Order: sequence, then C-alpha cells, then structure tokens
Amino acid sequence: MTLRDAVAQIKDGDTVAVGGHTLRRHPMAIIHEIIRQGRRNLKLMGWNSGIDMDMLIGAGCVASVETSYIGISAFGLALNFRRAAEGGSLKVIEHSETTGIDMFRATAMGMSFFPTKTPLGSDLMQANEHLAEVICPFTGERYAAVKAARPDVAILHAHTADQYGNVQLDLQRWHDNSVDAILAKAARTVLVTVEQIVSDEEVLRNALLTVLPRTFVTAVIEAPYGAHPTACDHRYDYDLEEVGKYYEASKSGDAFKGYLEERVLGPADHWAYLDAIGLERLMALTRQRVVR
Amino acid sequence: MTTAAYTVEELMACVVSRELRDGELGFIGLGTGGRAFVMAVGIPTVAIRLAQLRGVDFIAQYGVKLEPLIEEAPACFTDADLLDWRCRAMIPVEDALDMFRRGMMDWGFVSGAQIDPYGNLNSVCIGEQKHPKVRLVGAIAQTDHCAHARHTMIILPHDRRAFVERVDFISGLGFGDGPGYRERFQHRGGGPGKVVTTLAVLGFNEKTRRMQVESLHPGVTRGEVERNTGFALAFPDPIPTTPTPTDEEVQLIRTRIDPKGLFLQAKVR
Repeated sequence: MTLRDAVAQIKDGDTVAVGGHTLRRHPMAIIHEIIRQGRRNLKLMGWNSGIDMDMLIGAGCVASVETSYIGISAFGLALNFRRAAEGGSLKVIEHSETTGIDMFRATAMGMSFFPTKTPLGSDLMQANEHLAEVICPFTGERYAAVKAARPDVAILHAHTADQYGNVQLDLQRWHDNSVDAILAKAARTVLVTVEQIVSDEEVLRNALLTVLPRTFVTAVIEAPYGAHPTACDHRYDYDLEEVGKYYEASKSGDAFKGYLEERVLGPADHWAYLDAIGLERLMALTRQRVVR
Repeated sequence: MTTAAYTVEELMACVVSRELRDGELGFIGLGTGGRAFVMAVGIPTVAIRLAQLRGVDFIAQYGVKLEPLIEEAPACFTDADLLDWRCRAMIPVEDALDMFRRGMMDWGFVSGAQIDPYGNLNSVCIGEQKHPKVRLVGAIAQTDHCAHARHTMIILPHDRRAFVERVDFISGLGFGDGPGYRERFQHRGGGPGKVVTTLAVLGFNEKTRRMQVESLHPGVTRGEVERNTGFALAFPDPIPTTPTPTDEEVQLIRTRIDPKGLFLQAKVR
C-alpha cells in the first residue's frame, strides 16, 4: 500500500491517535500526507505531543486535541497550537501524562474506563469531559475514571515490519515510545510507517522485537526517515536545524504557510520531501544504519 | 564589584541536596530547555549527585531511565545519546509513571509557570482554559508528581508573574484551598514539601497550609521577597539566612558533577 492510499483511509472529522512523544519518533511522513490530502476537523489524541500536532494545527486540519503536552522541546512553546488555543478555534482536552496513556490502556485491556487517583482535586477534572469521579466498591476510596479512548485511526512510525504487518522496534529504543503499541491496540485502523520492510526470515529470527503483531495492524508502509525532523531512537537524531526553521516559521501564520508550501505541499510525496532535505543532511543525522 | 564565590543555582542545588535522605527515590522528568530545564532538571540532578557523593544512597529516576551515571551525562539529549548514557535500568514509561501511583516516589521535582500560597501549580494556561491569554505546554507529569510523590520539591525563579494569589489553572495540586483539601481526595502523596527559589527557601505552615519563608538567601532582603511575591507571606523572626555552599561543594559541582555547565547553565543541546 502507498502512503497516499493509507492516508486516504483517514476521513474528515476522525479521531486520530498520534504516536511518538516530544521530539521523538512522530509519524511525520503520515502527517505530511494528511496535510497534502487536506483533511479537516481531525480530533487528535496523544499523551505527550509536539511538532506532530502543532504542524497539523498550523495546517488547519484540527478541531480538537487531547493530550498532556504540546511543545517544541528546548525551542519553547508550540506556536501554532498557542495561536489556535488563544484564538478560541481549538478545543483542548487536558490530560496528565498518565491519564493520557490510561485512556488508551483501558481500550487495549478491553475496559470502558481506567481508574486512577492522579487528577482528583486538580482542574483537569473540569477541563476534560472524559474524566469522572467513581468510588472503589471495595475500599470506598475516591478515584477518577478515565474514559476508554477508541480512536478511528492510530498513526505510528516504527523501525521495521515484515510484509504481513508484524511491526518491530530495535532493541535499542527509547522506552517512552512503548506507548505507541498501547495506542495502536486502542484504535480501529492502525497505519504504521517503518524505516524498512524486512524479510520474513528477519522477523522469524527476532520475534521478541515484534511490538505489534499483524492482527493489530491495518497497513505498513515503508518510509525511511519517516520520523524526520524528529528523532528515531538509535537510528537518527532529531534535526535541530530543521526544527529551528520550523519554529521560526511558526511565529506567524503567513510565514508558516510558506513553510508548509516549501516542505509539505510542494514536495509531491515523502521521497520528494527527503530530496528537499537532502541526502547529506540525512546522512549527518544518521547514527546507525541497519541492514537486515 | 566582587566575584561571587557561588552562583544562585549552585546555592539552590546545595539546599535541595541537604533534604535528600538515604534510601529515597526521586523522579526527574527530562523537561524542556533553557531556564525551565535548569529549574526542573539541572538543579535536582546536581543536588542528587552532591548527596550521593556525601554518601547518601539516593536513587534518581529520569523518566524511563534509572540511575544514569550523572558524570557521564551527554552534551546533547537526543535519543541516541540518551540511549548510550549508561544507567542501571530502562523501563517502559507506563511502568515508570506507575511507580508514582504506587506511592514509591519520595520526591517529585517540579516547576511551573504559576504557584499560589497553597503550592498549587499551573503549567496549562494564563487566563481562561477555553480562551486563554497565554496557552502554555500542558500538565505533563506535573499532576502525577503532585498527587503521588511523598513530597514535592518545587524549584522556581522567584518573581511576581509566578507567585500569584490564585493560579489560573490547577494542573499540579498543592494543598488546594487549604487544610483538609488533599485529604478529601485521599491522595497518597503528601503534597508540597519545600519551595526553593532564586531568593529564598520556603515551606508550608502545618495548620494553615500556606506558604511561609524559612530562610532568605545571603544578601536578599525581606522587602525584595515581598516585592516579588503576589501574596502575603509569613516570615520567621529572626529570619535565618540560607546556608551557603561549602568550598568543597562548589568544587565538586564545577570540577566533577557539572564541569560543562550542562545542568546548571542549560548548555545541553
């Protein structure tokens, strides 16, 4: 399946769970394609978000966000997010990191809610319609129930997969991205880009590395550097030059339109995007080339 | 003008380090950049290492990474560098955060954009949440630190923008509206322990739950703290002066713990 066909499965108004966290392994190739296809009114869900959500917001694709954080790491606040929230055009459903994970955990476990004490007494209880108070029937203790999230689509970027859709992560991986597998298990449709489609033999030999068996996966698409400009664990670093360029452009709506034109709408597809970034830069970011 | 024998960040790290005890566990998020990084990551990191070098067996957890070798901290916090940073364990993030919920964490090190007299913290918005004047990053793990840690160590630059009578949004619960508030929700965490700022060390009155000054940093006056605080503070009489770092502590910080200024000067990329 091509990236274009995969993203065509996302409809206007869908709830979309986005993998990755902060500046790490967001499914940027999928996000670029969503923008190219001009999706509107998406309801984004995540647990610790960044340039992924900010870019979709800046491109006018988003009606609401549900997460615990949207920022551009060391650069500062996410400015498209900031403008949309301050302008009142974006609904923000507030989470803590854990309740942002719990909403996916509940669904992945086949439950309708997840109990936690975390948000009790904080204003998250008012600013998140998916939190409600419950009493433990055994101890009488007060809890918050986090409503199970059932996103229409989950979008992720991973290291490898076989042709059947068994998705693998290298052993050397940053453990914050363990949530990717949980949010995939919560979604109806799961679209995964990978650095490389590998042989059956490779997966058979390293079954422990499979984090998402194919039964959870709708489509895998090969998209090398598909997380750029975010980092991809031990494979490549985040591209601070590109994130800096993005951050500067995001300071005004007009400048950001120019950025989108240059980096997303102009290039016809992911390969044209990689051409625009250039092989030299991509090689400089690369830490580990893996041939399997 | 004389050269200060220590910086305020070094002083703050020494203050925090003296609160840490044998066998305790503390959680540090890997945070953001610049000044916020110094407050939320840099000062606690240097404090923990100082305590360890004094022989205190304090376990530091940096998100998913437990007990990284602090002197080997990478100059760039990209994935590959963080992965290569030697440590004793790396665990999935949901497990790492569950350690809060189980009540295992003795100290949560937190910061925020606003704090009120009851130690409630805000990192969500200035103004109304639905139509904010300034939209900030969000609650992140602040809510978890504040609900579940045995105490929180709140580390902040001291100014009127941050120290307000009422936070615009409670994303990290302190003592709520005063005595009994936390208890109503049966939170396992004890709430705010200390507030260490660029001007003073503050604690909370056991009866009223309001913030109060414990000591002023050397050279800081009561008036200066009052001018930089948007609510009334109680002061002890006489007002103690925050103990200054020893020469040995300053030496350890500059030559061994943070020689490149990664933590206290946010020189990390």
